[in-house]
Amino acid sequence: MKRASWALLACAAVSLAPLLYMARVSLGTGNALPIAPADWLRGGLTLDHYRALASGGAMPRFALNSLLVTGIAVPIQILLSAAAGHALARGRFVGKGVFLGLAAAFLILPRQVTLVPLYLLFAKLGLLDTYPALILPHLADPFGVLFMAHYYQTLSPELEEAARTDGWSPGAIFWRIVLPLSGPGLAVVGVNGFLTTWNAFLHPLVLTTSESMRTLPVGLALFAQSEYSVDWGALLAGSTLATAPVLVAFVLFQRQIVEGLLQGSGR
Amino acid sequence: MRGRPVLGLLPWALFFAAFGLLPLLTALGLSFFAMNPLRPDLTRWIGLANYGHALTSPAFWHALRTTALFVVVSVPLTLGLGYLVAALLGRVRRGEAFFRAAVFFPATLSMVVISLVFKSLYAEQGLLNGWLAMAGLPPFHWLQDPRLALPSIIAMDVWASVGYYAILLLAARKTLPLEQLEAARLEGLSFGQIERRIVFPHVKPVVLFVILLDTIRAFQIFIEVFVLTRGGPLESTLTLVYHLYERAFYHFEMGYACAIAYLLLLLVGAILLVQRRVLREREAVAA
Repeated sequence: MKRASWALLACAAVSLAPLLYMARVSLGTGNALPIAPADWLRGGLTLDHYRALASGGAMPRFALNSLLVTGIAVPIQILLSAAAGHALARGRFVGKGVFLGLAAAFLILPRQVTLVPLYLLFAKLGLLDTYPALILPHLADPFGVLFMAHYYQTLSPELEEAARTDGWSPGAIFWRIVLPLSGPGLAVVGVNGFLTTWNAFLHPLVLTTSESMRTLPVGLALFAQSEYSVDWGALLAGSTLATAPVLVAFVLFQRQIVEGLLQGSGR
Repeated sequence: MRGRPVLGLLPWALFFAAFGLLPLLTALGLSFFAMNPLRPDLTRWIGLANYGHALTSPAFWHALRTTALFVVVSVPLTLGLGYLVAALLGRVRRGEAFFRAAVFFPATLSMVVISLVFKSLYAEQGLLNGWLAMAGLPPFHWLQDPRLALPSIIAMDVWASVGYYAILLLAARKTLPLEQLEAARLEGLSFGQIERRIVFPHVKPVVLFVILLDTIRAFQIFIEVFVLTRGGPLESTLTLVYHLYERAFYHFEMGYACAIAYLLLLLVGAILLVQRRVLREREAVAA
């Protein structure tokens, strides 16, 4: 027993150390490497790097873009997933099996396949380098729909049947009965949607061209490309900023994140 | 329940069709064309030439080999460690929630952030070389040495992924009835024997599933390469998806890039089929 605890303590340390190092450097004063271990144990804590990020450069814009894209895409994802998942769970129609199969296949296939066509599609629509280009691809993600279809299958339809015999419209039933009962499922869809949208990289990289449209991951990755004079303090401060919302979501919704993972949410 | 609820499917189905299925099919169509968006007038049908070009191109085979090497080393390491961590988590009595969270947290982070942190650790003047210097050792060129760059990326990727698979495997272990474990313990079986005779057979389907999952994921490695090495040094970390990205967005060979994407898709499909065949044979043998 004891040995397992010690081994896990070592695992936890290895797992968290690089992140603590990131946060520590971001709160220090040094911009350039080497950032010696002695410095980050003894040196004081300042917000200098964060102040520099806030006062100049494009980092505030990256953060704003990430917030906007996530803030718009995730609520829409939640609504689409509830509506489509409900339809798939309750409705009986031709091609439902094919539809479910396609959605499930899409979860596992390499998404890079859609990269070039999406680029050409948004180019043709004149939407490269715009918020729609950053948001729309996220709305096609099948995970939430499949998850909610499964969720509604385990939810008894009795209440909905009763409301229908009382003459409620399908819309009223959906908004006033189905949605209020969907909280636990939608929490899973929401937090997993948040993680994939917030962390998305390849599509936002390819579908944007100007610096002002970059999201945090894209902005940070390209910021680090300037080989010779990387400002490590600023870079790791930006990385810490990009990590903070994920940490909050993790602390509040760890159970839901794990549940999504067990049901096949990608990473 | 007829008719009406189907309407709810429509909004998402439109997005899925426009930004999922349509691009998927378009990619297949494009793979038969020579296509450069800067010279749309030169777009022309070339049949299977893109595929022929890929399969005879040293660059493609190099990227495929590099990716396969990454897969073959990183998957066993990730899953072996993941299995071990899951076993430890299943055994510990106190503090399981904390340990689980600590090990799992990196799996929820942006791969860009992880890569940036490791880029600073691996830098010439970075922390790792700082420690080596303190120990009186010469520095390593973690990302500049062609022999070290891929192992450095693998080490980081394993660090970032172990928790994800540990959580999946832990969930599988938890479905084992406690009485069964208790009974085995009363019979005097050691931990090793319990692990081999009871736990492993129980979680084996999930083990096979995560092998598949991690293999497919590993074949798609891109962000790590983009942030850490951009395929270098001497193309020692040039993976399939990075090759695709370069072809499409530096050389604007859109049709060729789509052919590479479909070769990747075929590869992943083949892995899925082989895995399924193996599983079925196993079941046939067991029955």
